Amino acid sequence: MVNKSEAIDIELICIIINFGLGSKLVKTAKRCGIKGGTVLLAKGTTSNRILNYMGLSDVKKEVVIFVCDKETAIQTLEKINIEFKFCRPNNGIAFTTSICASIGSQNYNCNNIQKKGGVNHTMYHVITIIVEKGRAEDVIDAATKAGSKGGTIINGRGSGIHETSKLFSMDIEPEKEIVIILSEVDKTEAIVSSINRDLKIDEPGNGIIYVQDVNKTYGVYK
Amino acid sequence: MSVFINKIKEILFSVLPITVIVLILNFTITPMETPIIIRFLIGSVIVIIGLAIFLIGVDVGITPIGNIMGAKIAKTNKVWIVVVAGLVLGFFISVAEPDLQILARQVDSVTLGVISKGSIVVVVSVGIAIMLVIGLIRIVYNFPLYKLLTILYGIIFFIAIFASPEFLAISFDASGATTGALTVPFILALAIGVSKLKKDSKSSEKDSFGLVAIASTGAIISVMIMSILSKTDGITGTLEKEIPSTLIIYPFIHELPIIAVEIMIAILPIVIIFLLLQKISFKLPKKDIFRILVGILFTFVGLVLFLVGVNAGFMNAGSALGFSIASLDNKAYVVIVGFVLGVVTILAEPAVYVLTHQIEEVTSGYVKRKVVMITLTIGVGIAVALSMVRILVPELQLWQFLLPGYMISIVMSYFVPKLFVGIAFDSGGVASGPMTATFILAYAQGAADAIEGADVLVDGFGIIAMVAMTPLIALQILGFIFKRKSQKGGLENNGK
Repeated sequence: MVNKSEAIDIELICIIINFGLGSKLVKTAKRCGIKGGTVLLAKGTTSNRILNYMGLSDVKKEVVIFVCDKETAIQTLEKINIEFKFCRPNNGIAFTTSICASIGSQNYNCNNIQKKGGVNHTMYHVITIIVEKGRAEDVIDAATKAGSKGGTIINGRGSGIHETSKLFSMDIEPEKEIVIILSEVDKTEAIVSSINRDLKIDEPGNGIIYVQDVNKTYGVYK
Repeated sequence: MSVFINKIKEILFSVLPITVIVLILNFTITPMETPIIIRFLIGSVIVIIGLAIFLIGVDVGITPIGNIMGAKIAKTNKVWIVVVAGLVLGFFISVAEPDLQILARQVDSVTLGVISKGSIVVVVSVGIAIMLVIGLIRIVYNFPLYKLLTILYGIIFFIAIFASPEFLAISFDASGATTGALTVPFILALAIGVSKLKKDSKSSEKDSFGLVAIASTGAIISVMIMSILSKTDGITGTLEKEIPSTLIIYPFIHELPIIAVEIMIAILPIVIIFLLLQKISFKLPKKDIFRILVGILFTFVGLVLFLVGVNAGFMNAGSALGFSIASLDNKAYVVIVGFVLGVVTILAEPAVYVLTHQIEEVTSGYVKRKVVMITLTIGVGIAVALSMVRILVPELQLWQFLLPGYMISIVMSYFVPKLFVGIAFDSGGVASGPMTATFILAYAQGAADAIEGADVLVDGFGIIAMVAMTPLIALQILGFIFKRKSQKGGLENNGK
């Protein structure tokens, strides 16, 4: 793993949008310089009480996540905001959070995991790994070997720059699995490198890993 | 209100094409009587509303029940529970299926009562129940779908040697007829409920499909065995033909109570079994129960409206269309219009709608609804066109289409991604739903009526079988393309 630039700030963009628009959004984002995105299916809620009563409370949504540097993130969000009209209600929401380390995304290899102590010291990290469908179990195995207690698997779809193929002008987005692992700060490094070693994440096209700070956890026991 | 409006919008896209096509035909080559056209238009409106309500009902009511049952059954981790549950569910759902009743009535009349209606309903239901059990056990024990299908279709073709050609058509039709608008969503949900529990996400996904396909082979096998055992060689007798009514509103009112009772009977076993299991084992919170019951009410109302619209509005239009097009000098029209009608009819098929949504959900949107839909429409279009060719050319036999067709699909299932094998074989049963069984069948019978040398009865059977077969090939081809396209195209961008 090469630390190209310690200084780059990496951000995670998370966008929740109406069902069916996810692929279009990823396309727009790619035009803005983002290298790849992952789409998850989700359900939203309506606040309309009559509909709730009739059992019609579920609205299908798509959640789209991107990893990119801060500058691209701002540009992309500006563009997406205009194109998908987030300024109006019911069109979707978007937010960004910061990432402290990421592997697998070619341009943004970085490692800013802070090791300073202190009162505000974060106790836990959340490690998110996005891999090809079917490999999530390998990820969990690798993580368990390095001392993780478990993980949660989510299904999604997505594509990076390496896998854009078309079928009758529709983009094919291969299926992905997203693994979320909560780890103690001092184990993060070991878990990440274990997964990296087993799944060869730093080779292109094998998935990405990113690590984020967590402010508080409940339900995690030693 | 956005949920409802969105549903209506989606439904409009699926029902409008058929309405527009029929209208265009009406104003160009085949003018129809005014009452038929007006009834067709009223029917379209009812179908749109009914389909929207039905699909919401399936989402809220039927699918959750299937999922919960499937998951509970698998979690017990006991084979005998899987067997008993499969038998009970399979039997009662098929006994109650309105499509099976129609099929049985037809068989009863063409065999002059040698095979009685009651016996065929029971035997086919037992066949489906046994196959449902086998299908469930397959998922639990990880037996590959393509191998099981090879075995099952091997058995079918072996038995088929002994069956008469007429009965071949009827039994293959049975496979489509028994997987109706209500059974399919439920069986799909059941399969997903069971396979969701699997740790291996890849196999969990591909095992979500294929249960409908396996269950429908049960129907084929049992009808064939019955025909051989009762030694009915040919089919005699005639189908009573309905005289098209010139009244406009009356047919709708006439159909309503009949269909309402049919659907009530069809939906009842699912509800009763669900409520029983709820008392014994599910113990879902009150709120969920309420929601599911509301969903079932929606399903009921929606399906009744849909079927009333189709039966009273579409059937006469279909046969009138078939008759007048086949009366034209240029016979190519029958085939071309057949293709177009096949394409637009399948869009309005409720079970297809459910299946494509399930596919999208299970694959997280990797296999898009639209792509599956387009492939399916082309497949069904070809099926209807070929059926028309068969009516025009009396020398062509049904098995000459079915045998190569199924051979190709079985061979293909060894090469295409396994997810698509399940999807393809399921869609075969799904494509041949109430819309095809009424509109396309009526069109074909109308055409056969107008063509000399074509037998309304013999040529009428076998169309559903064709519609159930071509999607197998079409969707597997799609799977093949997906496989080629999903391979990572070039890491040559490396480091750029």
